Amino acid sequence: MNRLRRFFHTPEAIAGASILALLIVMALVAPLLFSGDPQAIAGPALLPPFQDWSLPLGTDRLGRDVLAELFHGARTSLAVGLAAAAAALFIGALVGTLAGFAGGLIDEMLMRVTDAFQTVPSFLLALAFVSIVGPSLGAVVAAIALGAWTGPARVARAEVLSIRERDYVAGARVIGMHPLEIAFREVLPNALPPVLALSSVIVAAAILTEAALSFLGLGDPNRVTWGGMIAEGRAVLRSAPFLSVVPGIALVLTVLGVYLAGEGVVESTAVRRSLS
Amino acid sequence: MTRALRLFRRRLVGSIFVLLIVVIGSFLLLEAAPGDAVDAYIVSTGGDVGMIELLRHRWGLDQSELTRLANYLWALLHLDLGQSVTFSRPIRDVILERLPTTLILMGSATALSFGLGSALGIYAGARPGSFRDRFLSIGSLALYAVPGFWLGLVLIVIFAVDLRWLPIGGIETIASGKTGLARVADIATHLVLPVSALGFIYLALYLRMMRAGMAEAWRQDFVLAARARGLSRRRIVLAHVARNALLPLVTMLGLQSAQMLGGSVVIESVFAVPGLGRLAQKAVAARDTPLLLGIILVSAVLVVVINLLVDLAYAILDPRVGAGEASA
Amino acid sequence: MSELTISRRGLLAGSALLLASTALPTIGLAQTPKKGGRLVLAADSEPRNLNPAIVASNGVFFISSKIVETLAEASFDGKDGLQPRLALSWDGAADGLSVTFKLRDGVKWHDRKPFTSADVAFSALQIWKPLQNLGRTVFKDLEAVDTPDELTAIFKFAKPTPFQLIRNALPALSSVVPKHLYEVGKIEDNPANNAPVGTGPFKFAEYKAGQYYRLTRNDAYWGKDEPYLDEIVYQVLPDRTSAAAALEAEEIQLAAFSAVPLADLDRISKVPGLKVITKGYEGLTYQLVVEINHRRKELADLKVRQAIAHAIDKDFVVKTIFLGYAATATGPVPKNDPQFYTADVETYPFDVAKANALLDEAGYKRTDDGKRFSLKLLPAPYFNETKQFGDYLRQALAAIGIEAEIVNNDAAAHIKAIYTDHAFDLAVGPPVFRGDPAISTTILVQSGIPDGVPFSNQGGYKNAELDALIAKASETLDTSARTDLYKEFQKKVAADLPLINVAEWSFISVARDTVGNIANNPRWAVSNWADTYLAG
Repeated sequence: MNRLRRFFHTPEAIAGASILALLIVMALVAPLLFSGDPQAIAGPALLPPFQDWSLPLGTDRLGRDVLAELFHGARTSLAVGLAAAAAALFIGALVGTLAGFAGGLIDEMLMRVTDAFQTVPSFLLALAFVSIVGPSLGAVVAAIALGAWTGPARVARAEVLSIRERDYVAGARVIGMHPLEIAFREVLPNALPPVLALSSVIVAAAILTEAALSFLGLGDPNRVTWGGMIAEGRAVLRSAPFLSVVPGIALVLTVLGVYLAGEGVVESTAVRRSLS
Repeated sequence: MTRALRLFRRRLVGSIFVLLIVVIGSFLLLEAAPGDAVDAYIVSTGGDVGMIELLRHRWGLDQSELTRLANYLWALLHLDLGQSVTFSRPIRDVILERLPTTLILMGSATALSFGLGSALGIYAGARPGSFRDRFLSIGSLALYAVPGFWLGLVLIVIFAVDLRWLPIGGIETIASGKTGLARVADIATHLVLPVSALGFIYLALYLRMMRAGMAEAWRQDFVLAARARGLSRRRIVLAHVARNALLPLVTMLGLQSAQMLGGSVVIESVFAVPGLGRLAQKAVAARDTPLLLGIILVSAVLVVVINLLVDLAYAILDPRVGAGEASA
Repeated sequence: MSELTISRRGLLAGSALLLASTALPTIGLAQTPKKGGRLVLAADSEPRNLNPAIVASNGVFFISSKIVETLAEASFDGKDGLQPRLALSWDGAADGLSVTFKLRDGVKWHDRKPFTSADVAFSALQIWKPLQNLGRTVFKDLEAVDTPDELTAIFKFAKPTPFQLIRNALPALSSVVPKHLYEVGKIEDNPANNAPVGTGPFKFAEYKAGQYYRLTRNDAYWGKDEPYLDEIVYQVLPDRTSAAAALEAEEIQLAAFSAVPLADLDRISKVPGLKVITKGYEGLTYQLVVEINHRRKELADLKVRQAIAHAIDKDFVVKTIFLGYAATATGPVPKNDPQFYTADVETYPFDVAKANALLDEAGYKRTDDGKRFSLKLLPAPYFNETKQFGDYLRQALAAIGIEAEIVNNDAAAHIKAIYTDHAFDLAVGPPVFRGDPAISTTILVQSGIPDGVPFSNQGGYKNAELDALIAKASETLDTSARTDLYKEFQKKVAADLPLINVAEWSFISVARDTVGNIANNPRWAVSNWADTYLAG
């Protein structure tokens, strides 16, 4: 309970957590509240918000319900953000642990590959990757993860380097555990917390990257995403600004919420770690 | 200085491997793409089988992948980036034409986000936990959360269309014949909006890092000592706290350079800036493999050089950093 | 709003003379043409080759047609819809084996060398026939070009070739380039491909990649007192929303080819000083077509294709996706074509119940989850409207129990997926009608075309009767007999649905009030602009 209290000690963290909670609720109730296809044509095209109470936020260029799209968009945006972050953290932790634990040539090679990925602008990489594989949700997630795993890899490696010389690791060596087993059972779990601390930044960046890809026409056409909604709405930015403003605000709030909540978690764990 | 040189040499050797990985990786990625340069080309023309075969042959696309990769690397060894099928010109010329634009855009945006970000960070971090601290830190974060393209579109509507203070896009007034200072001023006016859109996004990064570093520094012994010596608060903030918090920001500068280059793809497209980012987008769409490889290579070299400079600056600025540590 | 409604109805009727709301007042003003000035307009793409004799496409013509001229240009009121350019007259022999062109006297190339029949012969034999994307089909039987004197060119064909086809092909396929510049070296590597030299009213001045193209006045142009403008500058604006902003900020004076998104037209038509013009593209009709892969067993069944045709609400498509700036289609020839169009074909009114009944009849009953079968749908990425129609079609198919998964590709991947790999079930394509079905329309349904040919029948459709009809029409010399065959062709296509024609549309221009003589021929955006001027 202490940790929770510590987490909620700043208004920023509370705000962040509330936004996230709201978002998760939106994502969960979306299929209940708006059953059926959110991309179905629900009314006349380009209906402004607050005109027709069955379509409270109005309709888009084809007459699709903006509110339904917003709710379903929360699902995809969150899913993309979480999946991309999970993939990036997984690859990063794997590569970082291997490099740090193995050392020598393997370390050198893995780190040069990491350098290579860090040298290429990640958005450029994502752009090329999605253009080539074709825009689907999976491709977008993979493309984002491809550019985001290097940070976690470096952090994991640095942690592993400091942990691998500790007593319990030496103990595991003495009892004859396989090096890979030591790396992933003894070292990795202890190296993980600082790596996980990066997750909020990665989630936030992933949501923004997805939006930018959608803006360039590289989003999954079978799913509603906020980025896709903004991209659709920008052609009518002047005549129907709500079409890009509404998902834009949702996007900004979400990224802000993820960031603030993440910071709250990091700070509360940092306090705990420094205390212990 | 010798240590700096040693570091430089070590990094240089590592960089060559990195660049090789980048080139081969990008080549393989592009080879996996459905459709080639000819497919992209005939979108706007149509044509029969004979014409298509003719084009494939002319552009060397009927050779095997391995042959083309070998040819490319061999040419690269002679510092030849090859010929662009999209522009029918040497790729070196095409890229060199765009490079200055991107450098100016990135440089100005970096200067803006670094300068303003660290200044505001100092201002906020001077009184940790105060209202202005919270306001600046949340405000900058909100800016960070705004998609760059959206910020760009809104800036255009307000400052270029409604107020007409600034041009809507491009890098300079077209075919204006301006030279010297007039041209510099013209380019500067054109850069205000794209630089703001790009720079403001990354502002939060430096601001928050500065602020966090300062919060840390306040607790350090030498600050406590300075306080005990009765130095003025302003002096402590600037001479001790901020100075110490600045070092990690310099590292960040290097790390961010690649991201900035990626972010400029979208901004260049929104503001019609003829830079490398837009060129890359065009190269992907046209399946102009050698052109995209050239762009990736040049931007990778750019990033490597920036990071080398940052490392060197770091090694000189902070004597505690050993060569091994900085290269990790 | 009422004016707009009228104009929409006008367009639906296929009317050629059509102007949207704010353009109406300017017609009455009748400004006098003025000399001088620089016209700045938006360009959204940068063609890699500017030689219109090699690449006959609208993207190239948009810029090059001001520099390099054709033998004849399309016209609203000229005989056979043509007006003279480099040729003064054209005459086809009764046996279909030759066409005689009388050329304009006193025409000079931009480098001051005289233009002669040798240039025409060279362009036709060395470029149009072997190298040009469209010419390779139309001029395939061209054997020789005789030049008895400097102003006469006689085209000789190995097989009878309909004069009507040659005539209809003139505006797009007959760009003449200078022999003296092209006869040395490989034609494809000629520097003039990137800095064209022609006889047109404007000379190529410079190109800054990613920024602009600049053309300057040709003082030695053959047209009396023409051109009016001193300069034309194409400003490259890659983002789809920039053209509207640039027009409003008065940085450009013209945005052609629908550079201003349709959805923004209503608003921009109310901006003082700007006019929306829907005229000037009658000769460049694009067709919204559902391409069908007949290798899919369900789609090989005519009843299923009919069901899909009945499931599409064409009026909704025209009204919502094209915002009225289009017309519903009945078949493979657009309604606004003056020569070939017939309305006497099988039609498929919007009727979901009937569509469902047809699918039941065909034996594809709904399963428990309400679905009959699933399809892969590939909308072409070239236009906003083709993508939006893809979104709509997915919904329309869902209503009749067909689940469609949209696959979005970029242009290169789309071309490969459809025309080489045949990796699609349904696709949305925008073929262009180029004034004669034989140029680029019959190829959409004809069988026996090798894999990899873009914008052709790659859906595995084979209909011997239709093939025979197409073959017969291609060698029928008599104009009215040939026209009748193409009417029969439309009937057959509409009945058997090798593909489904949904709508046909052209482009919209938005210009400052000061730009004069806009849209005065059916291919205005890609014509020479010798008489375009800037007032005040």
